[in-house]
Amino acid sequence: MNSSFFKEVILLFKFIQDLLLGIQELIMPPKAFSWQVLIYLSVFSWGISYLAIGFIKDIIAFSGWLFLIAGTAWYTTDDPLRVPGTFMPVGALITGLLVSVFAFGHEVNVVTPKTIVFWPTIAAIITAIPEFFAGTGTTSKAAIPKLEVRQKVIILLAWSMLISCWLQFYFVLDKWLKEYPSLSAQNFLRSTFVIRLEPKSKTPQNGNIILNKMQPLVEEQIFGKPWSEVEKWLIEANQELGNLGKGVIFKNLEKYDEKGLWGIEPRVVNVKSGYRLDILTIWTGPSANTRGFYLQKSCLIQPVAAVNKQENQNAVAEIECDHTNKFFIGSPPPKQ
Amino acid sequence: MPEELSLPRIFPIAAMLFETLFLLVAISIEGYVLHRWLKFDKKTSIFYAIAMNVFSSVFGWNIFFLLEPRLDIKLKSELISYIFFNNFRNPGTQSTIIFLAFLIFLGTFLIKFLLIKILIITLSEIGGKEEIETSQKQKLYRIEKMQLQDTKLITTTLVANSISYTAISFILVIRNLSIGLK
Repeated sequence: MNSSFFKEVILLFKFIQDLLLGIQELIMPPKAFSWQVLIYLSVFSWGISYLAIGFIKDIIAFSGWLFLIAGTAWYTTDDPLRVPGTFMPVGALITGLLVSVFAFGHEVNVVTPKTIVFWPTIAAIITAIPEFFAGTGTTSKAAIPKLEVRQKVIILLAWSMLISCWLQFYFVLDKWLKEYPSLSAQNFLRSTFVIRLEPKSKTPQNGNIILNKMQPLVEEQIFGKPWSEVEKWLIEANQELGNLGKGVIFKNLEKYDEKGLWGIEPRVVNVKSGYRLDILTIWTGPSANTRGFYLQKSCLIQPVAAVNKQENQNAVAEIECDHTNKFFIGSPPPKQ
Repeated sequence: MPEELSLPRIFPIAAMLFETLFLLVAISIEGYVLHRWLKFDKKTSIFYAIAMNVFSSVFGWNIFFLLEPRLDIKLKSELISYIFFNNFRNPGTQSTIIFLAFLIFLGTFLIKFLLIKILIITLSEIGGKEEIETSQKQKLYRIEKMQLQDTKLITTTLVANSISYTAISFILVIRNLSIGLK
């Protein structure tokens, strides 16, 4: 029993020793000129670059990147594990990513859309480069590869560039969703191009923003004004509300490209106690339903007796608006 | 704003799959046409078909990426409408699309011809040894032969492009019909 226990301990030690040896082999450079040295140089440059200032810091950081790229390129070409279906080594993908980050990254965001877009193309170029050198190790020289190899390289490059184009297309679509956020309130089920990865939002948020900012402005124009003046305002509501709306849209939707696609229109309806003013914000941009959609906020306008005036005939207006906006799909009701 | 990465909300997977399907159809048809008309062996003709089609679509995408930011808001909403919702706001756009499709056809034909010409030259000349022209007559004969090859190349590219476009249009028609039935 004792001996078997010792055996186990010895086995465990042996395992740890092997592990350490493996790590040592990985970490310790076998020769002065090897990939480990390059990686160490890159780490070293990184450390140094923190101490330096100004353009010297940039130069050291720059060489650090070069060392890192060269080191990984070297390591990953040592034993090529290839991307299934192609002759591109996985290492080229890693090196390609590093080159791409190096070329298009910023200090603020390391990975930018450009990094991702150019990644496949750069990886393909990196895969192709060794084909243009004959021989191995130190005795390599530039040479034009065989016809078959050239064809292989061209096809790999073509497909990688196509994948880059697809990625760029994704970023174009993503940019559209950012510039026209009201698009995400609709379903993309009929699209031949895209699928959705997040649930659609219930109502277009910008429409709500416009209506909620409009409400106090309209209330200010009407509340407490003499009834006759308010009736005149309502007759010219198209113009009055249009002007207010333009200001609101310009102020609140300034950063979105979709600001030109919203319109504001009033609908005035007679009710028995006064008038109902419907404020509509109408989307004139792309939508799943060809007749578009609109949001509506209803306000009830009534005459009340003026409190602090002697004569009762000078009634003033009171306005009360709904808290929630209604969302309609389809064309708005016809203008009066 | 476009410099920042965010979690993907949509993905153009359908566009990628459709384009791959169309490319495979076009490559097999055009490879066959090249093999039949230009007497390339099967492997070479498939190589030319792949390179021609894939590079010409890369070229087309780049034109799209160049033009897209320059569109005014009206045209851009039509484009967005088509890509996201498969419809147009303005019914007049339909005829513009047909005109555009014709332009694209001509454009791809030109690009494909240029590509195959460049590929044939680069792939054969670099490796091959330079032939020394001995007499004037031989030189003249060679130029004549090159011109003959050019016209043959143009007609072959045109035929290959037409057939593959017909096949792709056919697939699109079937797809639209199946959507209509739903």
